Amino acid sequence: MLGARTAARTDSLLPDRGDRSAFRAGIGAPVPPSVLPALEPLLDTVRKPAQYVGGEHNMVVRDWAGADVRWLLCYPDTYEVGQPNQGIQILYEILNGRATTLAERAYAPWLDLEERMRADGIPTFSLEQHLPLWAFDVFAVTLPHELGHTNLLNLLDLGGVPHRAADRDATDPMVLVGGHAAFNPEPLAPFIDAAVMGDGEEVVLEIDDVLRTAKRDGLDRPALLRALADVEGVYVPSLYAPRYTDDGRLSRTVPVAPGVPALVPKRTVQDLEAWPYPQQQIVPMTETVHERFSVEIFRGCTRGCRFCQAGMITRPVRERRPETVQRLVEEGVADTGFEEVGLLSLSSADHSAIAPIARSLADTYEGTVTSLSLPSTRVDAFNVTLSNELTRNGRRSGLTFAPEAGSERMRAVINKMVSEEDLLRTAEVAFSQGWRHIKLYFMVGLPTETDEDVVAIADLGIAVYRIARAHGKANKVTLSVGGFVPKPHTPFQWAAQDTPEEIRRKLALIRQHIRTHDGIRLRTNDPEEGVIEGLLARGDRRVADAVERAWRLGARFDGWHEVPTLDLWRRALDETGVSLAWYAQRERDEDEALPWDHLDSGLEKGWLWEDWQEARTAVQLDDCRWSPCYDCGVCPGLDLVHDTGYQPGALLPVVPSVPADLGGAADAALPTSAERYAASATTTSAPGAPR
Amino acid sequence: MSVRYRVRWTKEGRTRFVSARDQSSIWERALRRADLPIAYSEGFTPHARVSFPDALPVGVASTGEYAELTFAAPIRADDALARLSTALPEGMDILTYAEVPAGAPKLASLLRATLWELVWPPVDATALTTLLEQRCDTLLAATSHEVVRHRPDGDRTLDVRPAVVSLAVATGPTPDGSGARTTLRAVLRNDAPTIRPSDLLAAVGDGDVAPPALVRRVAQGVPSDDGLTEAIDGTVMTVRSDVVAEAA
Repeated sequence: MLGARTAARTDSLLPDRGDRSAFRAGIGAPVPPSVLPALEPLLDTVRKPAQYVGGEHNMVVRDWAGADVRWLLCYPDTYEVGQPNQGIQILYEILNGRATTLAERAYAPWLDLEERMRADGIPTFSLEQHLPLWAFDVFAVTLPHELGHTNLLNLLDLGGVPHRAADRDATDPMVLVGGHAAFNPEPLAPFIDAAVMGDGEEVVLEIDDVLRTAKRDGLDRPALLRALADVEGVYVPSLYAPRYTDDGRLSRTVPVAPGVPALVPKRTVQDLEAWPYPQQQIVPMTETVHERFSVEIFRGCTRGCRFCQAGMITRPVRERRPETVQRLVEEGVADTGFEEVGLLSLSSADHSAIAPIARSLADTYEGTVTSLSLPSTRVDAFNVTLSNELTRNGRRSGLTFAPEAGSERMRAVINKMVSEEDLLRTAEVAFSQGWRHIKLYFMVGLPTETDEDVVAIADLGIAVYRIARAHGKANKVTLSVGGFVPKPHTPFQWAAQDTPEEIRRKLALIRQHIRTHDGIRLRTNDPEEGVIEGLLARGDRRVADAVERAWRLGARFDGWHEVPTLDLWRRALDETGVSLAWYAQRERDEDEALPWDHLDSGLEKGWLWEDWQEARTAVQLDDCRWSPCYDCGVCPGLDLVHDTGYQPGALLPVVPSVPADLGGAADAALPTSAERYAASATTTSAPGAPR
Repeated sequence: MSVRYRVRWTKEGRTRFVSARDQSSIWERALRRADLPIAYSEGFTPHARVSFPDALPVGVASTGEYAELTFAAPIRADDALARLSTALPEGMDILTYAEVPAGAPKLASLLRATLWELVWPPVDATALTTLLEQRCDTLLAATSHEVVRHRPDGDRTLDVRPAVVSLAVATGPTPDGSGARTTLRAVLRNDAPTIRPSDLLAAVGDGDVAPPALVRRVAQGVPSDDGLTEAIDGTVMTVRSDVVAEAA
């Protein structure tokens, strides 16, 4: 065959570990070989090749030799899923803002490219300059959930880096994890060098300083790990050891190096105003799951939903000021050209000034093609009014609400404070104001759940559907039902998870009850998908062997339908003697040590237990933004305060039980209660005192 | 008062892997970043009025892409389109433009033929050039030459010959001057059935020539005896002399 490429000499892309040190030197280090020449020919043969080329607007390309510390930031899933992640974008901008720090990005190659990369000896690479993972000082991986664990191992291995921390030495990158799943990193303990808990803005700079100093002083790996453990919020698993009781339960996890903290606290940025990032957001050249300019309008949530890990571990609530939100949006839309703006948080309608924020942005973009979106699933008429405001330009298609459970009792158990009356009235308002489709989120498999509670989901759906039909034959209702997975640092961390068989039975029960109502759509996930998530969420260090074995057997992309890995996992569990039932489907006692007891999210374990007991008796707990403190432990323990416009004793912007305001015209003025913000903003607050 | 412009632009480097589907949003966002008064379509999901006459296969490079832009207000074209070119990702550049007078024929009707370029890496260059020259001569001398195009939905037999206007093969230096490489240039008619570079390769490669390292759509326009007249600025491009010029 004439004209064929000579077999690419790719040995240099994966040099022996002993030959890598030069590239890791400080300023002036030689640039490691780019994988691009070897990669390009493969791109003609794989799906969605644009995800591997980088080159996006706002990508930052820095000189390798001009940097002292070099980070590779990674989201361990495809570019399509990982690129919009705000955490990576924030750290990318903050780290690249330093004169001698370089940060590039990496994502997981899809199976087709991975196969070709392995065949041709091409390592895990960065998008900016297509540089190999092994040359970086830090491989920093965000774990928003547990289903990226096998991908993390795979990326290390593909990148020419030993996947076990004990096999790595000074020639290898430090492997750090962050994100919500880092609040129980024990199933990854043998593979990572450190887990970083909580907000990353400040701690990455402190880690960057430690790495710079370590490089200057020539610290060996053990000394560097010890230095990292001194950074607040950094947990180095190799400096701790789990102790087990005779019956195999954990008794506690203890430090095994002198001077390391027995309890590692999470990091919290008190003043979000000091960190207005990301500003220069990456504009992807190929399709991703969220293509929009996103502004985080507040961080943290104190609604107190007992199933919600995000709400528990990100306390307290810290709001961005309305004028900052407005500025970030205006500058960001002009800079990126995005057509959509997302106002992000865990429950965006709860910002104390959301009404003026929404009104001001709607005014700014009235008559343009820029659209505004606000992920909020709050069940009340205010949410409808707010959505009306944000869709001034466009079509009123679908609204989403999250009652989460079907019966009043079940909602009291999970502390979702919404009544059936609220929901039906909200549906009435929404359909009467021209919305065509309501989507309702629910979970099954919640603690204390009976079949009656499950059937109540169907009944609620039918009741909402009746309202929908009364306003238009084409109106639709979708019930989206997922299986509950108990998570660490929540009141439900002691609860048993339902088996997939039980979840499947409950879903069938709902399906059977709605079968005579053709207009109700039921969307469910495969019940098996929660199995691995449940195992890893509450697993201890002994689960790590199963993670490694499952990866060896070929498990990766555990969250993807296209890649069924459960059978591989079952084999791995068998071979390593890890019991799924024991980790996932077993209720824990009060005195059992949990694998994350030495990791401090700020929540008192005693308070969580108390809340768990109250849950079982269906006792509800109010939101401490506008009701008295109930001592969850976060604020005093971490010396923090809420930073919101809510006054003590204030009410929500709109209380769901004010029917007089509800049936009004679509353009009814937004409630002005949040104008309280202006008043409170002028009140100077003393540190430690709630504002 | 809306005004229309036609542009010739490039899709080189990393951007050659961008799909036709992604291309529209890239242009739409670049137009917004450049703050140009692009017109939008009506409806609930308005789209910028940028149209592309034909899709380029993913992975193929190009200096012969075209687009038609409709602006809602008059623009100072030289400045505005320079800003747009800067706002587009690296690899996408606007080369030339022309305002579209009322009643002008459709852009697609001006793009009647394409000058393609297939480049092989610097191996066996002399032998490959000789082989391809022979095959090209044979193809040009024939009245028809059928190839089979393999598709997931079934094979299709196509006659390549009617689409071939001219062919030229040459050995030239690599861009870094370290070796010689083979370049095949072809002017192919765009009339249906469209013959792609892969079909041409099936005809002249005959199973013993490796796929080229790079395929490039050089330009499009009206075919002439041994080349084409470029659609926007009327440059006459000759298939053979360009190859020889490059080789020299």
